[in-house]
Amino acid sequence: MGRKAQKNDSLPGSLDMLILRTLSLRDLHGYGIVQFIQQSSDNELLVEEGSLYPALQRLELNGWIDGVWGVTSNNRRARIYTITAAGRKQLAVETRQYAKLTLAIARVMGTE
Amino acid sequence: MFRRLKYWIESARRSETLREELELHLAERAAELEADGMTADHARAEARRRFGNLGLKHEESREIWLTRFWSELGQDIRYGFRTMATNKAFSALAVLSLALGIGANTAIYSFMESILLRSLPVADPESLVVLNWHSQPPQGASKDWVHVVHSVSGLFWQGAKGAVVTGIFPYGAFETLREDNPVFSTLFGYVNGRNRTLSIRGQAMSVSAEYVSGEYFRGLAVSPAAGRLIGSEDDRPGAAAVAVISFATSQQRFGGPSNAIGQAILVDNVPFTVIGVAPPEFFGVDPAAAPGLYLPLHTNLLVDGPGTERIYRDGNHYWVEMMGRLRPGVSMAQAQAALAPRFHQWVASTAATDGERVKLPALLLHPGAAGLGSLRREYSKPLSVLLAMVGLILAITCANIANLLLARAAARRREMAVRLSLGAGRFRIVRQLLTESVMLASLGGAFGVLFAIWGVQSLTFLFSKGQENFTLHAELNWKVLAMTAALSVVCGLLFGLVPAIQSTRPDVIPELKISRGGGSRRRMQHVLVVAQIAMSFLILVAAGLFVQTLHKLHSVQLGYTRENILLFSLNARQAGHRDPEIATFYADLRKRFESIPGVNSATLSHASIISADRAGVTYRGPIKIGAVTVEGARVLVAGPRFLTTMQIPVLAGREIDDRDQPGSTPVAVISERLARTYFGNENPVGRRITFLDEKRDLEITGVSANLRHGSLKEESSMTVFVAASQISPGGMTYALRTTGDPLLYVRNVREIVREADSSIPLTKVVTQAAEIDRTISREVTFAKLCTGFAVLALLTACVGLYGTMSYSVARQVSEIGIRMALGAKRGAMIWMVLRRVLLLAAVGLAISVPVALGASRFVKSLLFGTQPNDPGILALAGTVLLGAAILAGYVPARRASRIDPLVALRHE
Repeated sequence: MGRKAQKNDSLPGSLDMLILRTLSLRDLHGYGIVQFIQQSSDNELLVEEGSLYPALQRLELNGWIDGVWGVTSNNRRARIYTITAAGRKQLAVETRQYAKLTLAIARVMGTE
Repeated sequence: MFRRLKYWIESARRSETLREELELHLAERAAELEADGMTADHARAEARRRFGNLGLKHEESREIWLTRFWSELGQDIRYGFRTMATNKAFSALAVLSLALGIGANTAIYSFMESILLRSLPVADPESLVVLNWHSQPPQGASKDWVHVVHSVSGLFWQGAKGAVVTGIFPYGAFETLREDNPVFSTLFGYVNGRNRTLSIRGQAMSVSAEYVSGEYFRGLAVSPAAGRLIGSEDDRPGAAAVAVISFATSQQRFGGPSNAIGQAILVDNVPFTVIGVAPPEFFGVDPAAAPGLYLPLHTNLLVDGPGTERIYRDGNHYWVEMMGRLRPGVSMAQAQAALAPRFHQWVASTAATDGERVKLPALLLHPGAAGLGSLRREYSKPLSVLLAMVGLILAITCANIANLLLARAAARRREMAVRLSLGAGRFRIVRQLLTESVMLASLGGAFGVLFAIWGVQSLTFLFSKGQENFTLHAELNWKVLAMTAALSVVCGLLFGLVPAIQSTRPDVIPELKISRGGGSRRRMQHVLVVAQIAMSFLILVAAGLFVQTLHKLHSVQLGYTRENILLFSLNARQAGHRDPEIATFYADLRKRFESIPGVNSATLSHASIISADRAGVTYRGPIKIGAVTVEGARVLVAGPRFLTTMQIPVLAGREIDDRDQPGSTPVAVISERLARTYFGNENPVGRRITFLDEKRDLEITGVSANLRHGSLKEESSMTVFVAASQISPGGMTYALRTTGDPLLYVRNVREIVREADSSIPLTKVVTQAAEIDRTISREVTFAKLCTGFAVLALLTACVGLYGTMSYSVARQVSEIGIRMALGAKRGAMIWMVLRRVLLLAAVGLAISVPVALGASRFVKSLLFGTQPNDPGILALAGTVLLGAAILAGYVPARRASRIDPLVALRHE
C-alpha cells in the first residue's frame, strides 16, 4: 500500500520530502500541495493525486505535520496542513540525504 | 505519545474526515478543469480519472493508521513469542504455574459454590427454613445423648461448644408445630426411607426412598414432570398406597415419565401405584442424597409393618425431619420467637422424670435455601482451607511472574536504553513489554481453563470415591473462571507495567554508562521472594499436618482384621421372608457361603462394624447390668463365628455360635472394656445383661478384645454382641474371610443368593479395607490435594528463587570476576550467593512461623492424632523449604564460582 503510493514520477521516497518542503513554506490543504509542487517544478513533477493522501496520513501519524480544519482561499472548508518542529527536523535530514544522493548519482553519471 | 492510540480509537471519525478531504480535492480539480473550458460533467469525470481509484485510495490512507496499530501489535506479539522462545524454561514455568493457580482456584471455588452456596431448585428457596434442635447433653450422659430422647433413627452432629444438634423430631412435635402455624405458610416433614427393594415387572433393584408428609411437594412448590405429586389426602393411614418416582428412575425403568403413571410397583414386596414423576432437576431437600422414590409418610405402616404405628404416638422417639416455608413478610427471627416456646412446652410434656427434665432440647431455626447441610457440614471447612491454599498458590504464582518480569526488564534495560536513544517512542516500548506480559498471562489463563475442567472432574472423582450414589455434581463455574482469567490478565498488566515503565525511564544515559544498579528493583525482588517462601511454608505445614493425620488414621489399631474380608448386604425381609423362617434362611446362607472353596469362615451381622451406627436399626435403648445402667455401649447384632471371622480375640468364655438358636437362652458377648468397667476383675461369663426396651435378659457367654466401631477417629468402644438368630432384624451384612482377593468370590456369592431367592438383590458389595478407607475418604482426598498443592507451591517458589538468584549472579559477574582475580576461592563465591539465599529463606520463615502457628489452630478440627503446632512438622517443613531454597540457589552459585575472571572483566 504505502510502497505503491510512492511509485512516482519523482525518486522513490521523495514525495514525503516534497510535501514537507512545500509545507515548510506555507500551510496548505491537500489539493494546494499538489498544485504547488506542480507549479514550482514547472510541471515537471506530477504528483499522483491518489498517493498524496496516504502520504499525508503517514506524515501526520509520524508527527511531522498537523492537520486542522480551515477555510481555503476560495472559501471552502478544507483540512489545512502545517509542518511541525519534528517535521522540520525530518525535512532537514531528508534534504541532506537527498543532496548526498543526487551528488552521488551526478558523479556516477559524470554530469558533475 | 498516545497519538496512535487516539488515532485508532477515532478511526471511524477520521475515516469520515478523510472522505470529506478527498471530495474537496476532487471538487477543486473539477473546478479547475471546468475553468479551463471543460463541461462540468466532463471535468468531474476527468478529475476522478486523474485521481485514480477513489475507494482504493481512501482505503489505503485509512489503512495507514489502522494497520499501523495492528501491524505493530503483530510485531509485538511475534517479538514476544521470540522472547518467550529464548527463555523457554522460564516462560513455560510462568505459564504453567499461572495455569495451575488459575485452574486450582477455579476448580475449588466451583466446588465450594455447588456445595455451600447453591440453592435448592425450587421456587423462592430463600423463604425455606430447616427446623433443628440443640441441647447440651445432661451430666453423666454419653456425649450425644439427651435424656428425653429415648430412641432415635436419624443423624446427630456436633454443634457449638459440644452441644448436640439434630433435625429429627418426634411425630408429635411435628403435628404440634404444624397446627395453626402463624409464621409458616406450610410445614412439611420427611424421613430418610433408606434403601428399598423396588420391583418392577419382576425385576428388583435397590433404590433410596424418602417418606414425605402430604405437604412436602406443595411446601417446596415443585411441579410434577408427569402425573401428580403426593398430597395431603395420600398421607393418611389407610389411604391408597401411592408413590412418586424420580425422573431418573422413570427413565431407567419405564423409558420416560409418562409411561410410569399408573404403573404397579413393589416396594419391599408391598404393592404401590406410581401417580407421578418428580421434575428432572429435583433431588429432594438434601443435596447429598437424591431419592429415587417418594412415598407418603404414613405408608411406612405398610412397608415397615404395623408395629411402626407405635412411633407416631411415642413422644420420646425421634425420627421426623421438617422444613417450613415462611409466610410473606415474616422473618426467621420472628418465626424462631413464635415457635420456640411452643416446642419447649411440648417437649417438656414428654419428660417423665426430673432426670429427663434437665437440659431439654431447644428449637433452632436455620436457613433452608440450600437444603440440608450434611455436605456443607462435612466439606465447608476443608473446602475453605483448600481455597485458602490455592489462593496462596495463586499469590505465589503472581509474585513469581512479577519477579520474572522484573528480572527480565532489568536484563533488557540496556536493550531498552539503546532503543530509546535511537529514537524509539517510550510508549511503543512500554506497549511492547506489556504485550509480552499479557501474552504470558493469557497463555496461563488459557491453560488454566483446561486445568479447571480437568480439576473439577478429578475433584468430583476424589470426593465421590467410595460413596454410593454420590449426587454432588459440581459444574465448572464459568463466572469464577472468567473472574480468575480476567485476574490473570490484570496480573500480567500490573506486573508488566512497573518494570516496563521503570526500564524506559528517561534517564537512559546513566544506564548506558553503568550496567549495574537498580537497587530498588532488587529490593522489590527480594520482598517477593521472601513472601513466596513465607506462603510456601504455610502450605507445607498444612500438607504436613494432613499427611500426618492420614498416617495416624492408617495406623489406628482397629481391633479387627482389615484384609481379606468381603462384605455384602442383603435383605430377606424386604423380599417377603418373615419370622421365624427368616432366621433359618440367614443361617443356611451363612453355611453355604462358608462352604465356598477358599472361604475360611463366614459370618453375618446387622451391619458392618464400620456402618453399624448408621445402619438405621439401633439397639441403643437403655441397658442395665443388675441395677447399674450401662452408658455408651454399642450393640452389634452378630451371627455365629463373628469373632473368628473378624479375628477378634476371645478373652474369656466363648463367642456366639450355632448353639444360639431362636428358642435357646438369649446370649451376649461383651468387650473387654465393658467387662472391666462394670465387672472390675470379676469374670462376667455367666452373668446377665438386660435390654430394658425389649425386656430381654441375656446371659454373658464370653468376653472379646476391644474394637473400634464406625469412624477411625473414635475410641474403641464398649461393645455388646447379641446373637442375630435371637433378634432377627431385617437386613443382614455378611462377612467372608477369604484366601486372596475377596472380590474374586463375588460371583460365587451372587450365584448362591440367586439360588436361594432370586428376588433378593445383593447390595453394598465391598471389601473391608475399602469400607474402612471410605470412612477416611475425606482425609485421604484432603491429604492428597494438600500434598499436591505443597509440591506445586514449593516448585513455584523454587523457580522464583532460582530466577532471582541466577539473575543477581548474572549482574554480579564482573564483581565476582574481580574478587576471583584478587584471589577469592570458588567455595567463597558459592557461599556468597548461598548466604543471600539462606538469608532470604530465613526472613521468610521468621515471618511465616508465627502465622503458621496462628492459622493452624483453624484446621485443628480436621486433624487426628496431630497437634496443630506439631514441632516436628514445623521443623520438617522448614527443612524442606531451606533445602529447596539451597538447591535453587546452588545452581547459580556454582555458575558464579565457574566464572573466568578474564572473561568476566572483558564482559564489562
